[in-house]
Amino acid sequence: MTVKDYSSADDRALVGASQRGDMLAFEELVARHRDRIYARAYSMMRNEEEAVDLSQEAWVKGWQRLRQFQGESGFGTWMTRIVINLCLDQLRKQKRQRTESIEALDEESGGVERQMPVVAANPTAGLERGELRQRIDRALGQLSYEHRTVLVLHEFEEMEYKEIARTMGCSIGTVMSRLFYARRKLAVLLADLKKQDSV
Amino acid sequence: MDNEVELKLQALLDGELPTAEANDVTSLLARDRAAAALVEELRHTRAALAGFEAEVRLPESRDFFWSKIERDIRRLERPARQPVASLPLALLRRFLVPASALAVVIGAGVVLLRPSGPSGLTPAAEIETAVADSGAFTYRDYSAGTTLVWVSYPADNEVAQDDEMGTVE
Repeated sequence: MTVKDYSSADDRALVGASQRGDMLAFEELVARHRDRIYARAYSMMRNEEEAVDLSQEAWVKGWQRLRQFQGESGFGTWMTRIVINLCLDQLRKQKRQRTESIEALDEESGGVERQMPVVAANPTAGLERGELRQRIDRALGQLSYEHRTVLVLHEFEEMEYKEIARTMGCSIGTVMSRLFYARRKLAVLLADLKKQDSV
Repeated sequence: MDNEVELKLQALLDGELPTAEANDVTSLLARDRAAAALVEELRHTRAALAGFEAEVRLPESRDFFWSKIERDIRRLERPARQPVASLPLALLRRFLVPASALAVVIGAGVVLLRPSGPSGLTPAAEIETAVADSGAFTYRDYSAGTTLVWVSYPADNEVAQDDEMGTVE
Protein backbone atom coordinates (compact mmCIF):
# COMPACT_ATOMS: atom_id res chain seq x y z
CA MET A 1 0.00 0.00 0.00
CA THR A 2 1.38 3.40 -0.95
CA VAL A 3 0.48 6.71 0.65
CA LYS A 4 -0.62 9.32 -1.86
CA ASP A 5 -1.69 12.18 0.35
CA TYR A 6 0.67 12.31 3.31
CA SER A 7 -1.09 15.12 5.15
CA SER A 8 -4.41 13.27 5.30
CA ALA A 9 -3.00 9.79 5.99
CA ASP A 10 -3.20 8.47 9.55
CA ASP A 11 -0.12 7.67 11.63
CA ARG A 12 -0.44 3.93 11.06
CA ALA A 13 -0.32 4.33 7.27
CA LEU A 14 2.59 6.76 7.51
CA VAL A 15 4.51 4.41 9.81
CA GLY A 16 3.93 1.52 7.39
CA ALA A 17 5.18 3.60 4.47
CA SER A 18 8.19 4.80 6.50
CA GLN A 19 9.05 1.20 7.39
CA ARG A 20 9.26 0.53 3.66
CA GLY A 21 11.75 3.39 3.33
CA ASP A 22 9.43 6.26 2.37
CA MET A 23 11.14 9.32 3.81
CA LEU A 24 8.33 11.67 2.83
CA ALA A 25 5.99 9.68 5.05
CA PHE A 26 8.49 9.93 7.88
CA GLU A 27 8.80 13.67 7.34
CA GLU A 28 5.04 13.97 7.86
CA LEU A 29 5.32 12.00 11.12
CA VAL A 30 8.10 14.34 12.28
CA ALA A 31 5.96 17.37 11.45
CA ARG A 32 3.04 15.98 13.43
CA HIS A 33 4.86 14.97 16.58
CA ARG A 34 7.92 17.23 16.70
CA ASP A 35 6.45 19.68 19.26
CA ARG A 36 5.52 16.90 21.66
CA ILE A 37 8.96 15.29 21.40
CA TYR A 38 10.69 18.63 21.83
CA ALA A 39 8.47 19.55 24.79
CA ARG A 40 9.42 16.37 26.60
CA ALA A 41 13.11 16.97 25.95
CA TYR A 42 12.84 20.58 27.07
CA SER A 43 11.00 19.69 30.29
CA MET A 44 13.75 17.28 31.21
CA MET A 45 16.80 19.24 30.04
CA ARG A 46 15.68 22.83 30.78
CA ASN A 47 17.87 23.97 27.91
CA GLU A 48 16.50 24.92 24.49
CA GLU A 49 19.59 24.02 22.47
CA GLU A 50 20.07 20.64 24.14
CA ALA A 51 16.37 19.89 23.78
CA VAL A 52 16.46 20.62 20.03
CA ASP A 53 19.59 18.46 19.57
CA LEU A 54 18.18 15.56 21.59
CA SER A 55 14.82 15.64 19.88
CA GLN A 56 16.61 15.64 16.52
CA GLU A 57 18.70 12.65 17.65
CA ALA A 58 15.51 10.92 18.80
CA TRP A 59 13.98 11.26 15.33
CA VAL A 60 17.08 9.80 13.69
CA LYS A 61 16.99 6.89 16.14
CA GLY A 62 13.28 6.54 15.48
CA TRP A 63 13.96 6.10 11.77
CA GLN A 64 16.69 3.54 12.44
CA ARG A 65 14.49 1.52 14.81
CA LEU A 66 11.28 1.88 12.86
CA ARG A 67 11.13 -1.84 12.09
CA GLN A 68 10.95 -2.55 15.83
CA PHE A 69 7.76 -0.50 16.16
CA GLN A 70 4.90 -3.00 16.26
CA GLY A 71 2.12 -0.56 17.10
CA GLU A 72 1.49 -1.67 20.71
CA SER A 73 1.34 2.02 21.62
CA GLY A 74 0.76 5.13 19.53
CA PHE A 75 3.65 6.28 17.38
CA GLY A 76 3.95 9.54 19.36
CA THR A 77 4.18 7.60 22.64
CA TRP A 78 6.83 5.30 21.16
CA MET A 79 8.86 8.30 20.00
CA THR A 80 8.46 9.96 23.40
CA ARG A 81 10.02 6.92 25.07
CA ILE A 82 13.03 7.25 22.76
CA VAL A 83 13.58 10.91 23.59
CA ILE A 84 13.09 10.28 27.33
CA ASN A 85 15.81 7.62 27.27
CA LEU A 86 18.17 9.92 25.35
CA CYS A 87 17.55 12.74 27.85
CA LEU A 88 18.12 10.41 30.81
CA ASP A 89 21.42 9.23 29.31
CA GLN A 90 22.50 12.83 28.77
CA LEU A 91 21.47 13.92 32.29
CA ARG A 92 23.35 10.99 33.83
CA LYS A 93 26.45 11.93 31.85
CA GLN A 94 26.18 15.53 33.00
CA LYS A 95 25.72 14.44 36.59
CA ARG A 96 28.83 12.27 36.48
CA GLN A 97 30.79 15.20 35.07
CA ARG A 98 29.88 17.74 37.72
CA THR A 99 30.92 17.57 41.35
CA GLU A 100 28.11 16.73 43.67
CA SER A 101 27.48 19.45 46.21
CA ILE A 102 26.38 18.77 49.75
CA GLU A 103 23.17 20.59 48.95
CA ALA A 104 22.45 18.30 46.01
CA LEU A 105 23.01 15.20 48.12
CA ASP A 106 20.69 16.58 50.76
CA GLU A 107 18.10 17.26 48.11
CA GLU A 108 18.39 13.70 46.80
CA SER A 109 17.40 12.32 50.18
CA GLY A 110 14.69 14.93 50.56
CA GLY A 111 16.16 16.15 53.84
CA VAL A 112 15.29 19.82 53.42
CA GLU A 113 11.75 19.37 52.10
CA ARG A 114 10.72 17.12 54.95
CA GLN A 115 11.27 19.97 57.41
CA MET A 116 9.25 22.49 55.43
CA PRO A 117 5.80 23.48 56.65
CA VAL A 118 2.91 22.71 54.36
CA VAL A 119 2.04 25.54 51.96
CA ALA A 120 -1.50 26.20 53.01
CA ALA A 121 -2.61 28.69 50.35
CA ASN A 122 -2.56 27.81 46.67
CA PRO A 123 0.58 29.64 45.44
CA THR A 124 -0.71 29.83 41.88
CA ALA A 125 -4.20 31.10 42.66
CA GLY A 126 -5.23 34.14 40.64
CA LEU A 127 -2.24 34.02 38.31
CA GLU A 128 -2.64 34.59 34.60
CA ARG A 129 -1.64 31.68 32.39
CA GLY A 130 1.52 33.34 31.10
CA GLU A 131 2.64 34.31 34.58
CA LEU A 132 1.90 30.85 35.94
CA ARG A 133 3.89 29.33 33.12
CA GLN A 134 6.88 31.53 33.87
CA ARG A 135 6.85 30.65 37.55
CA ILE A 136 6.54 26.95 36.97
CA ASP A 137 9.33 27.16 34.42
CA ARG A 138 11.64 28.83 36.94
CA ALA A 139 10.69 26.44 39.73
CA LEU A 140 11.22 23.35 37.58
CA GLY A 141 14.65 24.65 36.67
CA GLN A 142 15.62 24.62 40.35
CA LEU A 143 14.85 20.97 40.91
CA SER A 144 17.49 18.27 40.62
CA TYR A 145 17.21 16.24 37.43
CA GLU A 146 16.01 13.15 39.32
CA HIS A 147 13.17 15.05 40.96
CA ARG A 148 12.27 16.94 37.80
CA THR A 149 12.28 13.80 35.66
CA VAL A 150 9.97 11.91 38.00
CA LEU A 151 7.63 14.89 38.00
CA VAL A 152 7.72 15.21 34.20
CA LEU A 153 7.12 11.50 33.63
CA HIS A 154 4.26 11.40 36.11
CA GLU A 155 2.51 14.70 35.39
CA PHE A 156 3.18 15.20 31.67
CA GLU A 157 3.76 11.69 30.39
CA GLU A 158 1.12 10.29 32.78
CA MET A 159 3.22 7.26 33.60
CA GLU A 160 2.40 5.06 36.58
CA TYR A 161 4.91 4.60 39.39
CA LYS A 162 6.09 1.20 38.15
CA GLU A 163 6.59 2.50 34.62
CA ILE A 164 8.67 5.43 35.89
CA ALA A 165 10.71 3.01 37.99
CA ARG A 166 11.42 0.88 34.92
CA THR A 167 12.34 3.90 32.81
CA MET A 168 14.64 5.42 35.41
CA GLY A 169 16.12 2.13 36.59
CA CYS A 170 15.13 2.54 40.25
CA SER A 171 12.62 1.09 42.72
CA ILE A 172 8.96 2.11 43.02
CA GLY A 173 9.74 3.32 46.55
CA THR A 174 12.39 5.67 45.17
CA VAL A 175 9.93 6.96 42.57
CA MET A 176 7.31 7.66 45.26
CA SER A 177 9.86 9.37 47.44
CA ARG A 178 11.29 11.51 44.62
CA LEU A 179 7.84 12.47 43.40
CA PHE A 180 6.78 13.50 46.90
CA TYR A 181 9.83 15.70 47.49
CA ALA A 182 9.66 17.14 43.98
CA ARG A 183 6.07 18.23 44.56
CA ARG A 184 6.83 19.59 48.00
CA LYS A 185 9.80 21.55 46.78
CA LEU A 186 7.88 22.87 43.81
CA ALA A 187 5.12 24.09 46.15
CA VAL A 188 7.68 25.85 48.31
CA LEU A 189 9.43 27.40 45.30
CA LEU A 190 6.15 28.64 43.85
CA ALA A 191 5.19 30.13 47.23
CA ASP A 192 8.59 31.86 47.43
CA LEU A 193 8.17 33.28 43.94
CA LYS A 194 4.74 34.59 44.94
CA LYS A 195 6.26 36.29 48.00
CA GLN A 196 9.09 37.82 45.94
CA ASP A 197 6.66 39.20 43.38
CA SER A 198 4.40 40.71 46.01
CA VAL A 199 7.26 42.59 47.74
CA MET B 1 3.49 12.37 60.41
CA ASP B 2 5.89 9.70 59.30
CA ASN B 3 7.22 9.39 55.78
CA GLU B 4 5.33 6.19 55.02
CA VAL B 5 2.01 7.89 55.75
CA GLU B 6 3.02 10.88 53.61
CA LEU B 7 3.79 8.60 50.66
CA LYS B 8 0.49 6.76 51.13
CA LEU B 9 -1.38 10.07 51.05
CA GLN B 10 0.34 10.90 47.79
CA ALA B 11 -0.41 7.43 46.35
CA LEU B 12 -4.07 7.96 47.27
CA LEU B 13 -4.05 11.26 45.35
CA ASP B 14 -2.43 9.55 42.34
CA GLY B 15 -4.86 6.62 42.42
CA GLU B 16 -2.02 4.16 43.04
CA LEU B 17 -3.11 2.86 46.45
CA PRO B 18 -4.76 -0.58 46.68
CA THR B 19 -8.44 -0.38 47.69
CA ALA B 20 -7.94 -1.84 51.18
CA GLU B 21 -5.26 0.70 52.04
CA ALA B 22 -7.12 3.51 50.29
CA ASN B 23 -10.02 3.10 52.74
CA ASP B 24 -7.68 3.40 55.74
CA VAL B 25 -5.92 6.47 54.35
CA THR B 26 -9.22 8.12 53.42
CA SER B 27 -10.46 7.74 56.98
CA LEU B 28 -7.14 9.15 58.24
CA LEU B 29 -7.66 12.18 56.02
CA ALA B 30 -11.09 12.79 57.53
CA ARG B 31 -9.72 13.05 61.07
CA ASP B 32 -6.15 14.40 60.60
CA ARG B 33 -5.96 18.09 59.61
CA ALA B 34 -2.21 17.96 58.90
CA ALA B 35 -2.73 15.06 56.52
CA ALA B 36 -5.58 16.91 54.80
CA ALA B 37 -3.41 20.05 54.45
CA LEU B 38 -0.58 18.05 52.91
CA VAL B 39 -2.88 16.40 50.38
CA GLU B 40 -4.27 19.83 49.51
CA GLU B 41 -0.76 21.15 48.84
CA LEU B 42 0.06 18.16 46.63
CA ARG B 43 -3.21 18.69 44.77
CA HIS B 44 -2.38 22.38 44.12
CA THR B 45 1.02 21.48 42.70
CA ARG B 46 -0.47 18.86 40.45
CA ALA B 47 -3.11 21.29 39.22
CA ALA B 48 -0.48 23.96 38.52
CA LEU B 49 1.44 21.57 36.25
CA ALA B 50 -1.63 20.43 34.31
CA GLY B 51 -1.46 21.70 30.75
CA PHE B 52 1.85 23.42 31.35
CA GLU B 53 3.74 21.46 28.72
CA ALA B 54 1.13 21.76 26.00
CA GLU B 55 2.34 25.25 25.13
CA VAL B 56 5.97 24.32 24.43
CA ARG B 57 6.82 24.54 20.72
CA LEU B 58 9.94 23.53 18.83
CA PRO B 59 11.73 26.80 18.01
CA GLU B 60 12.64 25.74 14.44
CA SER B 61 10.67 25.63 11.20
CA ARG B 62 9.41 22.33 9.82
CA ASP B 63 11.70 22.43 6.79
CA PHE B 64 14.83 23.37 8.68
CA PHE B 65 14.32 20.79 11.41
CA TRP B 66 13.57 18.06 8.86
CA SER B 67 16.60 18.99 6.75
CA LYS B 68 18.87 18.28 9.74
CA ILE B 69 17.19 14.95 10.45
CA GLU B 70 17.32 13.92 6.80
CA ARG B 71 21.00 14.85 6.54
CA ASP B 72 21.82 12.74 9.64
CA ILE B 73 19.85 9.77 8.39
CA ARG B 74 21.61 9.84 5.01
CA ARG B 75 25.02 10.32 6.64
CA LEU B 76 24.48 7.34 8.93
CA GLU B 77 23.18 5.11 6.17
CA ARG B 78 26.10 5.81 3.82
CA PRO B 79 29.02 4.30 5.77
CA ALA B 80 27.00 1.17 6.44
CA ARG B 81 27.37 0.17 2.78
CA GLN B 82 31.10 0.92 2.44
CA PRO B 83 32.49 -1.88 4.60
CA VAL B 84 30.54 -4.42 2.52
CA ALA B 85 32.34 -3.30 -0.66
CA SER B 86 35.79 -3.48 0.91
CA LEU B 87 35.17 -6.63 2.91
CA PRO B 88 37.70 -8.88 1.06
CA LEU B 89 40.41 -6.26 1.51
CA ALA B 90 39.58 -5.85 5.16
CA LEU B 91 39.72 -9.62 5.67
CA LEU B 92 43.02 -9.80 3.80
CA ARG B 93 44.47 -7.05 5.99
CA ARG B 94 43.17 -8.77 9.06
CA PHE B 95 44.88 -12.07 8.33
CA LEU B 96 47.94 -10.89 6.38
CA VAL B 97 49.93 -9.61 9.34
CA PRO B 98 49.58 -12.68 11.60
CA ALA B 99 50.14 -14.99 8.62
CA SER B 100 53.37 -13.18 7.74
CA ALA B 101 54.60 -13.36 11.32
CA LEU B 102 53.82 -17.07 11.43
CA ALA B 103 55.74 -17.67 8.19
CA VAL B 104 58.82 -15.90 9.60
CA VAL B 105 58.71 -18.00 12.79
CA ILE B 106 58.35 -21.25 10.82
CA GLY B 107 61.19 -20.28 8.44
CA ALA B 108 63.51 -19.47 11.32
CA GLY B 109 62.63 -22.77 13.00
CA VAL B 110 63.41 -24.75 9.86
CA VAL B 111 66.81 -23.05 9.44
CA LEU B 112 67.80 -23.52 13.08
CA LEU B 113 66.55 -27.06 13.52
CA ARG B 114 67.63 -28.69 10.22
CA PRO B 115 69.90 -31.70 10.66
CA SER B 116 73.59 -31.47 9.66
CA GLY B 117 75.29 -34.07 7.50
CA PRO B 118 75.36 -35.03 3.86
CA SER B 119 71.61 -35.00 3.33
CA GLY B 120 71.41 -32.00 1.09
CA LEU B 121 70.80 -29.55 3.96
CA THR B 122 74.43 -29.62 5.13
CA PRO B 123 76.92 -26.80 5.11
CA ALA B 124 78.93 -26.41 1.94
CA ALA B 125 82.19 -27.65 3.51
CA GLU B 126 83.69 -28.82 6.81
CA ILE B 127 87.07 -29.73 8.29
CA GLU B 128 87.52 -32.34 10.99
CA THR B 129 90.31 -34.00 12.87
CA ALA B 130 89.62 -37.70 13.09
CA VAL B 131 91.89 -38.64 15.99
CA ALA B 132 93.63 -36.32 18.41
CA ASP B 133 97.33 -35.99 17.81
CA SER B 134 97.11 -38.27 14.80
CA GLY B 135 98.30 -35.50 12.52
CA ALA B 136 95.45 -36.20 10.05
CA PHE B 137 92.89 -33.58 8.86
CA THR B 138 89.90 -34.20 6.67
CA TYR B 139 88.32 -31.52 4.41
CA ARG B 140 84.96 -32.30 2.81
CA ASP B 141 83.39 -30.16 0.12
CA TYR B 142 79.81 -31.42 -0.38
CA SER B 143 79.06 -29.17 -3.29
CA ALA B 144 82.04 -30.53 -5.21
CA GLY B 145 81.63 -34.06 -3.84
CA THR B 146 85.26 -34.03 -2.72
CA THR B 147 87.03 -35.20 0.44
CA LEU B 148 90.68 -34.29 1.10
CA VAL B 149 92.73 -35.90 3.85
CA TRP B 150 96.02 -34.39 5.08
CA VAL B 151 98.27 -36.77 6.87
CA SER B 152 101.26 -35.24 8.65
CA TYR B 153 104.23 -37.54 9.01
CA PRO B 154 106.02 -37.85 11.31
CA ALA B 155 103.54 -37.01 14.03
CA ASP B 156 103.24 -33.62 15.86
CA ASN B 157 106.22 -34.20 18.15
CA GLU B 158 108.47 -35.32 15.39
CA VAL B 159 110.06 -33.27 12.65
CA ALA B 160 108.07 -33.62 9.44
CA GLN B 161 110.07 -34.39 6.43
CA ASP B 162 107.41 -34.85 3.82
CA ASP B 163 103.66 -34.39 3.78
CA GLU B 164 101.68 -36.96 2.03
CA MET B 165 98.39 -36.00 0.59
CA GLY B 166 95.88 -38.57 -0.48
CA THR B 167 92.65 -38.07 -2.30
CA VAL B 168 89.66 -40.22 -1.61
CA GLU B 169 86.92 -40.22 -4.20
